[in-house]
Amino acid sequence: MVSPAGTAPAAAGWEELEELAGRDPAGRPYLERLLARWIDDAGVRGAALYVERDGALRRELAAGEGAFPARLEGGELPGGMVHRVDGGAVASLGGPAGDGAPPQPATLLLASALRALTLRERLKRQLFQESYRVVELEALYEVGLAIASTLDLDQLSEEILLRAVSLLDARRGALYRREGDDFRLDRTLGGEARETLVAGDPALAELLSAGDGADLAEGGAHSRAPHGPEGLLPGARHLLVVPVGTGPSPRGLLVVGDKESRKGVGPFGASDRRTLSMFANQAAIALENARLHRQALEKERLERELELAAEIQRQLLPECAPEVPGYDLVGWNRPARTVGGDYYDLLPREDGRIVLTVADVTGKGIGAALLVSTLHSALRLSIGPTGDAPALAARLNRHILESSAANKFITLLTAELDPATGGLAYVNAGHNPGLLLRAGGGREVVELEPGGLPLGLLPGSAYRGGTAALAPGDLLCLYTDGITECASPADDEFGVGRLVDCLVEQRAAPLGELVAAIDRRTREFADGLPQLDDQTLILLRRHAA
Amino acid sequence: MSESLKLEVDRRDGLAVIYTEGYINNQGGEEIARAAYQLIDAGHKTLLLNLTGTKIVNSIGISILIEIIEKMIEIGGRLAFCCLTPTIEKTFHIMGLAQYAGIYADEPAAVRGLAPGAADGPPADA
Repeated sequence: MVSPAGTAPAAAGWEELEELAGRDPAGRPYLERLLARWIDDAGVRGAALYVERDGALRRELAAGEGAFPARLEGGELPGGMVHRVDGGAVASLGGPAGDGAPPQPATLLLASALRALTLRERLKRQLFQESYRVVELEALYEVGLAIASTLDLDQLSEEILLRAVSLLDARRGALYRREGDDFRLDRTLGGEARETLVAGDPALAELLSAGDGADLAEGGAHSRAPHGPEGLLPGARHLLVVPVGTGPSPRGLLVVGDKESRKGVGPFGASDRRTLSMFANQAAIALENARLHRQALEKERLERELELAAEIQRQLLPECAPEVPGYDLVGWNRPARTVGGDYYDLLPREDGRIVLTVADVTGKGIGAALLVSTLHSALRLSIGPTGDAPALAARLNRHILESSAANKFITLLTAELDPATGGLAYVNAGHNPGLLLRAGGGREVVELEPGGLPLGLLPGSAYRGGTAALAPGDLLCLYTDGITECASPADDEFGVGRLVDCLVEQRAAPLGELVAAIDRRTREFADGLPQLDDQTLILLRRHAA
Repeated sequence: MSESLKLEVDRRDGLAVIYTEGYINNQGGEEIARAAYQLIDAGHKTLLLNLTGTKIVNSIGISILIEIIEKMIEIGGRLAFCCLTPTIEKTFHIMGLAQYAGIYADEPAAVRGLAPGAADGPPADA
């Protein structure tokens, strides 16, 4: 591209030039006046001063008539003369015929001014580079600061990639995170990147074993690999890849492509590898910190939700046992986790009867707790006026089938007591048999056996009810298998026998103490092993006559 | 973020605003320089670079911005930046751009600062 020169100011006298040089030997006013002097001395129509920068002669200023290009290609000016001087050139147009020797001393002065200008520019470049070192150190320092802060993981990842690309003067970049044996693309900048890097790929393995990274230059052996320039950052000609984190299993990869300069793009150098590696190591710690923070927040959220679910579930269970004249009654539950799958209810009816229910939902945790909640509502709604236990079980079965997932079912034993007579009408849907310990000091136990399948298993299931009678002094125990299947370190089960032993030994004790005794015995049996299943008990004793 | 920088130029009375979107690297810097020099040739002596859409500047981009600043100083003009990310603002301070060009949090503040008679603006009687 060419541009017209301006009008040349009148040629300056030597005294004026000396004064201007004294003020600033590379300053614009001095150069302009000196060039005007040169034009006058050379007898040309116009001239331009060119400075050598980045391997090219670039126009610094022009004066007089004629058009002078911004760059002198090949050091020549069509139709004009070019006089090379140290650090640049003076080009002229419209000069007299002759040997074209440049005028002196103007040319010498111009050369001297060019040297001053070049030196100034070199100093500026040096200052620029030193200042940019500070920028690099700041970037490393700030990534390090992120370790102590609770940065958002996504925000941190973006910041890391932006900083890495700008620090390395790269045109593009990508950040990968490790997932199992592979690296998945987390984010990219300046263009597309390969989505997944498969561990075990020889090029990737070589890349990771190269320590500080590898420069996959075009034409090199790596460029033919799947993860060569055309594969990793399509279109990029030069890559630098470093692991994020040290050790044989880095947490990710940081990739930058095509190092920029004023001349275009080129390969990365050794100092770039060092800078990026240092940055990546800091980034690894910051990312891990952010990841742990996110995990901690998630865990905290889950714990809060679990606590809430546990609180809701606690509210489903009876706060205390209702008073039943002539009887002692207690219910007890301890979930294995914050929320559980066991349920019990002690529901007094208007006619004085009381419905005792114990149930066990498949699974544990939130899923089981939700089904417990469904059962609670269904039970309260389904208990009919007649107290027909098999019909109740059938209704519950229908409800649970409609409300729950296919692989969920509930074992349940519900028994309705007529306190006046001690009569018990019950239905057992696949649950552990209830235990009715007879008074009299012996081990005579009547079992309330299952009369049908668990609820939610098969549509249209039929249930067979049963009856029993509590005589004075008799003790009824309804329980879940979390008690009888409690395991010892030797992998034995507590079993029904040991439960009956507790009932026999403590048959006369207050029911609260009996519950505590059963609890204590199961814990001793487990001998330090954690509770794996929810445990529930209902104890009902008819007062002795 | 797309590869090449996008620019929008808003010419106003006494002020020209260049809005950038994307990476200010070699290519992006040259785009800005082209736009700036065109504005200078058209007689604008007060330029504002609004970097709202830019999250990243590399050293090549910075060196081009410095050249633009130097050109503005040479012609007696003024240049300011606004809407920089904290990282870019810190970089500009370290690299010395803040000594020769105003840096503002937002465009209204920059326009006020560049108004005739203001700290970064031309003299009131210009």
